[in-house]
Amino acid sequence: MAAITLLEAIRKGLWEEMERDDRVFLLGEDIGVYGGAFKMTEGFLERFGEDRVIDTPISESAIVGAACGAAMMGLRPVAEMQFIDFISCCFDILTNYAATSRYRQNIGIPMVVRGPSGGGVHGGPFHSQNVESFFLNTPGLKMVEPSTPYDAKGLIKAAIRDEDPVLFFEHKALYRNPRIKQEVPDDDYIVPIGKAAVRREGRDISVITYGVMVYTAMEAADRLQEEGIDIEVIDLRSLLPFDREAIVESVKKTSKVIILHEATRTGGMAGELTAVINEDAFEYLDGPIMRVTSIDTPVPYAPPLEEFFMPQVDDVLKAARSLAAY
Amino acid sequence: MIRYPAFDPPEYIDWQADPRLVEEFARTIERDAGRKEIVSALDHKRLLSLYEGLVRNRLHDIMLKRWVKQGVISKAWLGTGEEATTIGAIHALDRSAASDGRPTDFVAPMIRNAGACHEMGMTVTDMLRGYLGTEDSPTRGRDLHIGDFQKGVIAPISHVGDIMAVTAGIALAFKLRREPRVALTWIGDGSAKAGVFHEAMNMAAVQRLPLIVILQNNQVALGTRLDQHHRASFLDWPAAYGVEGAAMDGNNVLDVYAAVKVAARHCREGQGPFLLIAETFRMGGHATHDEREARQTFAAELFERWGKRDPLGLFETYLIEGTMDLENGRRARKTGSPRERNLEVLKRVEERVTSEVEAAAEEALSSARTKMPRPEQAAEGVYAEHSRSSAQQASGIVF
Repeated sequence: MAAITLLEAIRKGLWEEMERDDRVFLLGEDIGVYGGAFKMTEGFLERFGEDRVIDTPISESAIVGAACGAAMMGLRPVAEMQFIDFISCCFDILTNYAATSRYRQNIGIPMVVRGPSGGGVHGGPFHSQNVESFFLNTPGLKMVEPSTPYDAKGLIKAAIRDEDPVLFFEHKALYRNPRIKQEVPDDDYIVPIGKAAVRREGRDISVITYGVMVYTAMEAADRLQEEGIDIEVIDLRSLLPFDREAIVESVKKTSKVIILHEATRTGGMAGELTAVINEDAFEYLDGPIMRVTSIDTPVPYAPPLEEFFMPQVDDVLKAARSLAAY
Repeated sequence: MIRYPAFDPPEYIDWQADPRLVEEFARTIERDAGRKEIVSALDHKRLLSLYEGLVRNRLHDIMLKRWVKQGVISKAWLGTGEEATTIGAIHALDRSAASDGRPTDFVAPMIRNAGACHEMGMTVTDMLRGYLGTEDSPTRGRDLHIGDFQKGVIAPISHVGDIMAVTAGIALAFKLRREPRVALTWIGDGSAKAGVFHEAMNMAAVQRLPLIVILQNNQVALGTRLDQHHRASFLDWPAAYGVEGAAMDGNNVLDVYAAVKVAARHCREGQGPFLLIAETFRMGGHATHDEREARQTFAAELFERWGKRDPLGLFETYLIEGTMDLENGRRARKTGSPRERNLEVLKRVEERVTSEVEAAAEEALSSARTKMPRPEQAAEGVYAEHSRSSAQQASGIVF
């Protein structure tokens, strides 16, 4: 069992699901002949044919709308957004159609919309976004974002098998990152949607995070260990629904919380998680809940600008030190 | 049929068939050889069933309008004047059960195509319950846009263009499974201006999907006249997308029937989508609340002109004055015109449907008295598994 990248793990999950279940099919821009902008689906067309690996026009609404219709009829579509930024083009179909269908007309839409998200690769304003907050306020959708190859394979399988529409975010800075390669079992396993993972146990401060920021948190935790601050790192994995119990349990243990995400600050996941902690664990808190996030601007292009924009290890260190002083 | 001065558009109240339009009605269905053949193959039962569908659609809408006047509901979106485009289309589809137990063909109506619901087999009772939001309505009170998946009806949503893409997806599922089934949707001259129409039409063309799109040009987008929001001819659109297309008379139920029949055959044979252009006219407002504005939007002559083309009145006249004896389907010889007998047959149909709609209204109102959803049911059914977070919110657990 060789160690594989996050991209290979997602690929493996998709491939296995298509082998296992002939209702599963892929559609998206350049995913067939070209193999996908990130080569996620290279070789799929040859193996599964053009009925199950559909090259589409540049038409995100039609892609996701057609996925909705096909899912209603019992198929299991997986739609690719070439970059997750382009999901805004089908915002209407996702929020008004897919998210409401079960509630309105009792027709479930078991569909996955997946794509590369996130910055740090100098992609500029339209190839670097994290879009979860756009959808966090939409009951009826689910959202997941794996940080490890093991989770990536298990979550993509769980997403495909889920009875409701799932948005699957893949941080492109992790796609081929050799440092996070992992041995991933060939077995058919899933990582359940809605369950967080404790990446590092600690007593003093909980850092609640997900995606690429898990690694920022881990690096900060190593540094803070030297200063005698013991950090717990919670990797949410699922953003909607998020693991309320795991968050509250960790807060009850440490009494201090940093919420860390790469998405911008205002109206982000951190605000919602803060409210949840206030509702469920206020009396356990021993300091303000702190947010470490990107700043409230579009994602800038030039490296120094993007670095300033995104949360860095130092930002976590600063927040942790000030929180530790309470 | 009986006209209802309190609810019908003024042009319909003393409706008399204009001989020129009756003649045109007959000419229209003979213009195209293929359509002519399809229409002439219709027996008296099929013709009566089309008539019954039109009457049901009209009476359903009249009941809603009555409810608005009585204050039972606040407004309703009616298909008055456009019924033929709905009813003719449904009757041309294959409504027999496929191997999955659902109808062979699927439809995705706009709210103005409510007639699609009852002609696909939903009861008028359920449709009226939809407006009342009862627990036993098709959406259990969650929405007044109704459908029934088991009966092949996808519920409308207000972002009308979206349905184009979703219906294309239904057609995609048929294609991928190699099932000879067809998906049909309607779109207005207004909603066809949403970008998703273009995306879905083009993708359906590229994928050669068994999708019928009826562009229902009722000359108005809510309160904006066609000439304010449209420049080209809709008839040029099919060629622009590289799909088969044709015009049909949206107020002639037989022309619609035949045109959709041709389109369905084309789709079933795997030849890709079919875009039908139906000219018709909305004889009321966008909904019941803005009928006055609609009268201000258009010149009175336009209402007058289209009012004479009442799809129900024209078809009824065609049947009454025709040579077919509606009692038994025989063609009359030179002697013994079946006129009087036909009048009697149509009257019986109308009486039956009137009773059906009145009983449906009674039943629906009874549901409204005894079967409204419990408030906490608002929190159910967002996800396949009961959502913990919404349940928790519903139980009022906050700090």
